[in-house]
Amino acid sequence: MDYLIDLVIVGLSLGMVYGLVALGISFIYSGLDIVHFAHGEIYMVGAFLGVTVLNLTGLNYPALIVVAMILTGAIGVVIERLFYRRLTREGGGISFAGMGIIIAGFGISMVLQNIAFLIWTAKAVPFPVRFGLPLEIGELMVPRSYLWIVAVTLILMVMLHAFLKYTRLGLAVRAVAHNKDIAYLMGINVPMMISLLFGVGCAMGAAAGVLIGPINYVQVSMGIGILIKAFAAAVVGGFGNLPGAVLGGLLVGVVESLGAGYLSGNYKDIYAFVLLIVVLMVRPSGLLGITVKAKA
Amino acid sequence: MLELDRIEAGYGSVQILNGVTLGVERRRIVALLGGNGTGKSTLLKTVSGLLKPWRGAVRFDGERIDGLRPDRIVQRGLVQVMQGKEAYPAMTVEENLRLGGYLVGNRNQLHRSFERVYEYFPRLAERRRQLSATLSGGELQMLCIGRGLMSQPKMMLLDEPSAALAPQIVLDIFRIIGRICREGMTLLLVEQNVRMALLLAEYAYVLRDGSVHLEGSAEALINDDNVRLSYLGGGADAVVAVRA
Repeated sequence: MDYLIDLVIVGLSLGMVYGLVALGISFIYSGLDIVHFAHGEIYMVGAFLGVTVLNLTGLNYPALIVVAMILTGAIGVVIERLFYRRLTREGGGISFAGMGIIIAGFGISMVLQNIAFLIWTAKAVPFPVRFGLPLEIGELMVPRSYLWIVAVTLILMVMLHAFLKYTRLGLAVRAVAHNKDIAYLMGINVPMMISLLFGVGCAMGAAAGVLIGPINYVQVSMGIGILIKAFAAAVVGGFGNLPGAVLGGLLVGVVESLGAGYLSGNYKDIYAFVLLIVVLMVRPSGLLGITVKAKA
Repeated sequence: MLELDRIEAGYGSVQILNGVTLGVERRRIVALLGGNGTGKSTLLKTVSGLLKPWRGAVRFDGERIDGLRPDRIVQRGLVQVMQGKEAYPAMTVEENLRLGGYLVGNRNQLHRSFERVYEYFPRLAERRRQLSATLSGGELQMLCIGRGLMSQPKMMLLDEPSAALAPQIVLDIFRIIGRICREGMTLLLVEQNVRMALLLAEYAYVLRDGSVHLEGSAEALINDDNVRLSYLGGGADAVVAVRA
C-alpha cells in the first residue's frame, strides 16, 4: 500500500511538471494556432537560466522561478516576433502555413539546443538547491522538491485562470485567441497581445524546467523527452484545452510511475503512449476536448 | 467627417475596389448599398484598417487614417460594428461589452458606457450574465451594436445590421440606430436591405463592381427607376413573378 502511495505521489508531481509544459503548449496553440515544437527547449533553457541565475546571485528558490520565467518569457517573445509572426500571418493550425510553423519549430528547437550547448556544454549539472530533509506525513517520506512542484504548479494554474477570467488584459488575450480581426476592431493592440500570449506560454515551460531541476539533472538534451510527454498530455486532455492539459499531465505522470513501479522501469517511456493510444481510441478529441464540427 | 478618395483595394492580386470616392457628413446616416460581391465588406475593412488600401486616401476628421493599425483607428473614434454572428460566443454579454470598451480606461466612463448601452438595449441588461452563444439573432445584433458603442466613438460603420433577421426585429433595430444618430452619432450603414436602408439614411451610395455606380439623396434613389428595378423589387421581381 505504501509503495502504491509513493508511486502515486511521484507520478502526480512529475505529472504536474508535464502538465505545466503541456499547459504552455496548449495555451500557445489555443491562442495563436502555433503547434510549438520548440517548447521542450524553452523548458531546457528555463532550467539552465535558473541554475545560472542561482550561481550568479544566490537568490532563493521562489524568486529564482520568477526570474527564470521572466527571462525565458522574454526569449519566447523575441522568437515569436522574429520567426512565427511572419508565418502566422498566412494562417496556422492544420493549414498549409501550419506546416511551415511546425518545421520552423523544429528549426528553432535545434538552434536553441546548439546555443545552449555552446553556453552550458553537454555536461549534466545538478540544480544546486537544498530543500532539507523530506517531509514526514505519517509513515510517508515526501521529498520537499515534490511539494514545491505541486505548490508552484497549482499557484501558476490559479494565476493563469484568474488572469484570463478577471483582468482586462486577460479578456483581451482571450479575444485575440478567438479571433484577431474582431479583437482589432475592439481597439485591442493585437500584436502586443500575441507577444504576451507567447511569452506567458514560454514562461510556464521555464517554470517547469526550474521545478524539475532539483529532481533530475539539468542538461541540454532534456527538452526532447519532456516535449513528447507534454504533447501526449496535451492530446490526452484535449489539445488546446487548458484544464485538459493539466489533467492529461497528471494522468501521464501517474500511469508512467505506476507502470515503472509494477511492470518494468525499462519501458517507462512507453506507458504514456499506451495511455495516449487508449484515450484516442475511446475519445479522439481528448478527455476534455470539444468535438469540433467542420464549418458548414 | 469621413472621406474616401479614389480607394483601390483587394486581396492578393485580386482587385475588388476600383477607385471608390465617397463622403459622410457629421451626424448623418449614409447608406452604402449593393448586392453580394460588389465590394461592400472590402470597403468597410479598408476604412477600419483590417485591409490596407493599394491606392487612394481615407480621411477621418480631416486626418489620413489609411495604413493605420485597426486599434489606432478605433482610438480615434471610428468603430466598425460587425454582424451579430461575430460576437464572442464563449464570453458573456457583459464580457463582450467590456471588450468593446477596452480602450476606456476611466472606471466612471466605462460605467456610463454600460448604462447607455443597457438603456438602448434593455434586453442585453437582462442577459448580461449569459454566454452570448445563447442569444437570438436579434439579440446578437444588439450586442454587436452595443459593443461598438462602448468605446464612445464619434462614428460607427454598421455591417448589415439586418442580415438574417425577421422584419419586425429589423424594424426595432433600425429604430434604435435612428435614435443613436439623433443623439449625435455619425453612421455609415452598409446594407443589402435597400428599402429599409433608404428609410433610415438621408444619402446613399450604390456600389457595383467595386465602384460607385449611383449616388444621391434617399428620396431621389427611391424614385429612381434603375434603383426600383434592380434593388427594390418593384420591377424585376414583379416581372419574374408574373411570368412564373
